[in-house]
Amino acid sequence: MSEAAHSHHTTTGIDNRKFAMWVLIASECFLFGTLIANYLINKSRGLVGPKPQEIYDINITTLSTFDLLMSSVAMVLALHYCKEKNLRKFQFWTAMVVLGGAIFLGFQYYEFSTFIHHDGLSLATNIFGSSFYLLTGCHGAHVAVGVLWMSSILVTSLVKGQDWFNSEVVEVAGLYWHFVDVVWILIFTIVYLFVYV
Amino acid sequence: MAKNLPKTGIISWLTTVDHKRIGIMYALSSLFFLIIGGIDALLMRTQLMVPNNTVVTGDIFNGLVTMHGTTMIFLVVMPLSAAFFNFLVPLQIGAADVAFPRLNSLSFWIFFFGGCLLNASYLVQQIPAMGWFAYANLSSKQFNPTHSVDFWALGVQVVGLASLIAAINFFVTIINMRCKGMTLLKMPLFIWTTLVTQVLLILSLPVITVALVMLSFDRTFGTGFFNPSQGGQVIMWQHLFWVFGHPEVYILILPAMGIVSEILSTFAKKPLFGYTVMVYSSCAIGFLGFAVWAHHMFTTGLGVWATALFSAATMLIAVPTGVKIFNWISTLWGGKIRFTTASMFAISFVAMFTLGGLSGIMHSSPVIDTQHQDTYFVVAHFHYVLYGGAVMGLFGGIFYWFPKVTGKFMNELMGKAQFWLYMVGFNLTFFPMHFLGLEGMPRRIYTYAPDMNWNFWNFCATMGAYVTAIGGILFFVNFFWSLKFGAKAGNDPWDGRTLEWSIPSPPPEYNFAKLPEVTQLDDWWYKKYTHDGKRLNPPSQPVVDPKTIHLPHQSFWPMVLAFGITMIATGFCVPSSGVFVSLIGLAITMASTYGWAYEEP
Amino acid sequence: MVKNHWCRSVSAKLFREGFGKIMSGSFLSLSSLSLAQETQEQLPAFGDTKWKLFDVSWDAPMNTVTGLTEWSRDINNVYSITTWICVFVFFAVSIPLVYTLYRFRHKAGDQAPPKQFHGNSTLEIIWTVVPVVLLLFIAVPTWRILFKHAQVPPSAMKIEAIGHQWWWEFRYPDNGNVVTANELHVPENTPVHFTVYSEDVIHSFWIPAWGGKKDALPGHKNEITLTSPPLKNANVKGGEMYQGQCVELCGASHALMRFNAVVHSKGEFDSWVKTANSPPTVETASQKAGEEVFARCQACHTIAGTPSEQLPGNKIGPNLSNFGNRKYLGAGTRMNTPENLAQWLKNPAGIKPGNLMPNLGLTDEEIAHVSSYIRQSTTKTY
Repeated sequence: MSEAAHSHHTTTGIDNRKFAMWVLIASECFLFGTLIANYLINKSRGLVGPKPQEIYDINITTLSTFDLLMSSVAMVLALHYCKEKNLRKFQFWTAMVVLGGAIFLGFQYYEFSTFIHHDGLSLATNIFGSSFYLLTGCHGAHVAVGVLWMSSILVTSLVKGQDWFNSEVVEVAGLYWHFVDVVWILIFTIVYLFVYV
Repeated sequence: MAKNLPKTGIISWLTTVDHKRIGIMYALSSLFFLIIGGIDALLMRTQLMVPNNTVVTGDIFNGLVTMHGTTMIFLVVMPLSAAFFNFLVPLQIGAADVAFPRLNSLSFWIFFFGGCLLNASYLVQQIPAMGWFAYANLSSKQFNPTHSVDFWALGVQVVGLASLIAAINFFVTIINMRCKGMTLLKMPLFIWTTLVTQVLLILSLPVITVALVMLSFDRTFGTGFFNPSQGGQVIMWQHLFWVFGHPEVYILILPAMGIVSEILSTFAKKPLFGYTVMVYSSCAIGFLGFAVWAHHMFTTGLGVWATALFSAATMLIAVPTGVKIFNWISTLWGGKIRFTTASMFAISFVAMFTLGGLSGIMHSSPVIDTQHQDTYFVVAHFHYVLYGGAVMGLFGGIFYWFPKVTGKFMNELMGKAQFWLYMVGFNLTFFPMHFLGLEGMPRRIYTYAPDMNWNFWNFCATMGAYVTAIGGILFFVNFFWSLKFGAKAGNDPWDGRTLEWSIPSPPPEYNFAKLPEVTQLDDWWYKKYTHDGKRLNPPSQPVVDPKTIHLPHQSFWPMVLAFGITMIATGFCVPSSGVFVSLIGLAITMASTYGWAYEEP
Repeated sequence: MVKNHWCRSVSAKLFREGFGKIMSGSFLSLSSLSLAQETQEQLPAFGDTKWKLFDVSWDAPMNTVTGLTEWSRDINNVYSITTWICVFVFFAVSIPLVYTLYRFRHKAGDQAPPKQFHGNSTLEIIWTVVPVVLLLFIAVPTWRILFKHAQVPPSAMKIEAIGHQWWWEFRYPDNGNVVTANELHVPENTPVHFTVYSEDVIHSFWIPAWGGKKDALPGHKNEITLTSPPLKNANVKGGEMYQGQCVELCGASHALMRFNAVVHSKGEFDSWVKTANSPPTVETASQKAGEEVFARCQACHTIAGTPSEQLPGNKIGPNLSNFGNRKYLGAGTRMNTPENLAQWLKNPAGIKPGNLMPNLGLTDEEIAHVSSYIRQSTTKTY
């Protein structure tokens, strides 16, 4: 996606793609805002069990939150080395982002399957579960897109080597990645931590 | 593959990334859907012409109600507005193209396939029959067991995605692609209303996206978001729907407001009166549009405080709207008004929209609304706003910019005949609906008893609909006749004020041979006239070799990607093997995304 | 309820009852060419009369601006204030618009452009402030009335109005748990506190002549207080009838979900309550045979005081106690006559598409029996 954005003469001086990502993020804020509101409304409306406090495993989730935060750090470093044109380190940290995201998805897979098989909470069991899966599942899908995107960047970089330091693309992907992280912090707080207050 | 695609013929249209061609495709598709939505309306009016009529059954009538609303909103007014955004935004801000030409093409194709998916419900005879706002739990699997609602939910979902992509594109284009000197307050008003519309889309579409996902989950996976027997709440849907749905109303009307502002100022040969205030009032309308959704729900038991607050916010919207109306009149004041079809449609917008606005003020009072809600009074109100308003404005836009798009005038005689047929037909259809509402006729009933005193006005309304239909046919005759035989139009046939009139009609693929620079609002006008009205010789476009201008390459990927996305959605509407359809769609989507990403731009 | 002649209606009511009514009334009356002098008692139901195009007049059965109750009058007041303001604004817009269009029309041969002026702050402030002031004139009475009618009078009678696809059920917890369907009976001039909800999809409960509506939601109980109007004719027997209808799209037969609200004198209402749930009399052989046929109906329908009341389970059909007294059948779909009932029993879906009542395949004879049984269920004792 480099299109007309190749001409760097934008009115504001900001790259079109970066700008578009910010606009998309504004839209995504409303998306997750709606999902979170829906979760808050429905979390205690389930007619049958299990209830949130019965199934959340705060230790595991803390771990996965930490993992996702670290992947954001890796993202910062990847962008930094992309701008520095340090191929090895750029590729390494990009791989770390992909790995961090993949591990997070693994955690989510583990969490979901525990809920389903151990706690008996599937998508349609009760309305708390439906809202929970909808919210965290939507976030997970965003992480998955990010993982795909970052792996594509990694593959492109591996194929094209020194010729390809497209820091604009990496920056846009980074914006997305950080946003997805920030959303997770919100979800972690509102969904997992608020159970205890 | 992108390098050697033909510049003419069908392939060139399928692969085009030129904003002007995409705009034309938007316009043609929405006019096609206009015919479908119009037939829906005529069938309904025929059924209601006399009491106890049996042209259609209740189920089909409810389907027509749903499809008429959905089609007119999502497949006619929104894409027709998008046609104007596409064609005009780069021209009016002095840009070579939109920020993301291929995304632009993607938006169109997603919209087109989504519209087809929605209408496919007719082909399999599973017409969604729960009204265009699809209130839960009538939309549930229990009360609508066929795939009808799935077609609706997924169709709207897909079309919504198209709007979101387009909105991001146009927002970035307007903010980031303006030519030299065009500061925000030197943009034509149409660009401003477009900008506000995109903001509304960007912020309201995600809400309906979530609501539609929840609806689809309820229907497909058995969740209970809107099912009271599983702890869900039907009223949740209404809140989510109208949080989107009310901004949507302004999404429909704001572009028309912008178009009318351009037309009135051109045909009065005067600058828009109170331009700055018009800009602020557009923003105010957009902002307040997010705070009034519950006025659609005054009778659902919101509680008296919420009702009072939402009614106050609703009344407030009347203020910036009223300012606009008086500013339009003042734009005409002191001008030299030429009565062309375009300007007549624009003037009728002001008149009809005022009437619709006034009945809107009545509904803003929950006390009155408690009698009017869900009666024909409401039907009259929103048709005055969306039909007398938005559609009339858009027709004005078609007549106004047709010479720019095609290089030919539309026939004025046929145009004026259409205008008067529309005015008579429209008012004959919808003004009596006020009376029907006052006499308690509920909306969306497929039949009524003969002793309700509703006979005469229903008969009038149906006759009005037929008159309008004749006007509509005349429009299509005019449209195709003018394409072939229309009188040749020059670059600037109306003595326009904005940049699109400074370039040839139809514009070359690259728009401007040299990107313009502006110094003031209505810059093109002041290149033709001095401030005291003396004629100047406007600078002509420099001659360039088109080959030297870099243009984005044509691409198949947007269409393929849009097809893949629509196929994912189609899976939800197919019995039994739907998951395979969706998976194939997903594969196409992924493959074409990569094809796109690694294509040489 | 005799319909007014148009000239009388226009002159007498012009300034009395608010512009909204005038707007509908005068226009309707002016266009009325034939005005049948029909009384409420002869009010025909669905499909029972021939259609007359020009039978338009002022007293539509579902007229929303009657002013019969205090709430209705309050609504009319706000409505007429609003309408007058809107009329003022309409002329404030249309006169300048038309004048401008005429005065500043382009004249042939005039090539010079007009003076280019960009605005006028004073004017723009005026047409920002004036609407705000006008809106206050609408907003203040609106809120006053809104809060006024949010109060429930402690003396209010309680009735539950329950929406079903596509009929209404009314329960009287204050009056010996009487249950009726599609016919609401209330004493005159009495505040009634309705609990409104639905058993399936969303419906909306509305008696236009009395005042506003309230949605009947599944899974949530709404409340609305309506005051029944006083009797127009104090000596009327059998009560005065008002028409109500579901006004929220609720499926295939949404249009056929009507009901009647019958206002009685207080004494008559008390005797109605006494007889409403009295069991049917079984005297003739036909009624006896009908009782046996009805055993096939009681999985869905209840008649008070008969074995059908003891049957457990969710009764999805309307309660048929005192059915013989009802004016309409099928939620206002047809007049309650033996012929219409027979037609209904032969093919319920033919009269009301999509409704849940199955075609039991009754023979003509069985239909006659069951009809004589349920239509006889009680005689009009009040």
